[in-house]
Amino acid sequence: MDNLDKEIRDTKVRLCLDCGKCTVVCPVAQYNPEFNPRLIIQKRLGGSDASTGDESIWSCFNCQMCLERCNYNVKFPDFITALRTEAVKSGTRVLCSHGGSLQAAMHMMARPDIQQKRIDWLPEDIALTDQSDTRFFVGCAPYFDVIFQDLGVKTLDGVIGALRLLNKAGIAFNLLANERCCGRDLLNQGDQEGFLALAKANLEEFNRHGVKRIITYCPECHDCLKNQYPRALGNIDIEVVNLVELLAPLLKSKKLALGPLDKKITYHDPCTLGRGFRLFEEPRELLTGMAGVKLVEMENSREKSLCCGANPWAYCNTVNRQVQEQRLEQAQATEAEVLVTACPKCQIHLKCAQKSDDCRAAGIEIQDLAGLAAASLKRR
Amino acid sequence: MSNAATLVVFVCNWDGLSTIEAAAQKRLTFPASVKIIRVSCLSRVHTGLILKAFELDADRVTLLGCDSKNCHFGIEEELIDQNFAKAQGIMKLLGLKSERLTLVRLPHGDGAGFIKKVNQLVE
Repeated sequence: MDNLDKEIRDTKVRLCLDCGKCTVVCPVAQYNPEFNPRLIIQKRLGGSDASTGDESIWSCFNCQMCLERCNYNVKFPDFITALRTEAVKSGTRVLCSHGGSLQAAMHMMARPDIQQKRIDWLPEDIALTDQSDTRFFVGCAPYFDVIFQDLGVKTLDGVIGALRLLNKAGIAFNLLANERCCGRDLLNQGDQEGFLALAKANLEEFNRHGVKRIITYCPECHDCLKNQYPRALGNIDIEVVNLVELLAPLLKSKKLALGPLDKKITYHDPCTLGRGFRLFEEPRELLTGMAGVKLVEMENSREKSLCCGANPWAYCNTVNRQVQEQRLEQAQATEAEVLVTACPKCQIHLKCAQKSDDCRAAGIEIQDLAGLAAASLKRR
Repeated sequence: MSNAATLVVFVCNWDGLSTIEAAAQKRLTFPASVKIIRVSCLSRVHTGLILKAFELDADRVTLLGCDSKNCHFGIEEELIDQNFAKAQGIMKLLGLKSERLTLVRLPHGDGAGFIKKVNQLVE
């Protein structure tokens, strides 16, 4: 068994009081009694072999509810990542979903000699500024839209919406022709080697173009570029800012105005954007910035937001489905016409759940925040 | 070691395999760089498997299956076409040449056809 001393120190798991609050609020534990964050820590600290081959470490959604509730800020999600990394290093093979398509694409993307053709979707009316040292990080949206086309998923609509909003707000930026996947999913499932390959390839690309600022939309990309890259590769000297934190102040100062939208809307806080970066109000301000929007809250919102049940394209099972079902029913209960989210993964996972034969909340429309806001511009 | 391209052939157990067996019976040969992988039905070959073959540095990948309407399991072509189209879509984004992936349908027992096709693909 590997020595995880550094990870144990960094995640502060020794501060665990054994109170079990983490397990009470955990969405996975709610449906799978065998998943127990408190016990996972105990087993590992006990030093016994009980934690090797512990299959339950793969069930965590990384939703951070445990971290939110823990009185001592034990970084359980990071601890899970450490355990998974250890397992992969000692030969465990990750049970990939979707046949491993995403992992295969991510691994190939990291190759230094790859020359992608990934911007063909860009509409002609979007203005790019060649000399800008700011780049908009598109993320895996082009790949998602191919793989999940049968779910009616169009994550690129959100990306295009984001670009239109930036244009309207007068913020200059360019795109990267050979941008790689940020690597967060590989990091999350213990494939550190895969993550580092992508990170290094991206960093090389950023440095080659003299990038000084990156605007993200996907919250996971945001976390990866802002937190994980410096953690793994040292200070990257690039400012990373999320679209919502860039645009919300401009709405307040009236430098950006959106069009009307006469709809009753409920907003789903993505775990990483909400609990991760405390960006609860900014997305809501973008929604209420559209005249006519009636915003209603679900039973679990803001820091209590219920996860969309996403796993990093691995180990997806009935627990994910049950959590998704619960979230969709919460949305339906608000009687909102549209469920809005600001994360492509949330969109994909919730739409996938709606396709289930026995989904009880398949009717509610799911839309992307930036896509919706950008569409309102035409109605001004 | 010849310089022939590595070709991974996913072949269905029924019509697809019959072409390879027919070729073998006539003692026709094909390069050693051709790797045959037998599956129960081509609809089993999802996008992830095709991409994995490329990740493992296959030069080309072929799906070799039944003549349409002759599927042993009576499965519609949709699944195969969908998986194939998704794989092509991902390859395009990755900048991989689309010729590297092909879908081949041969009549039952067409050994010569198999050899001809395979030699074409590894050139």
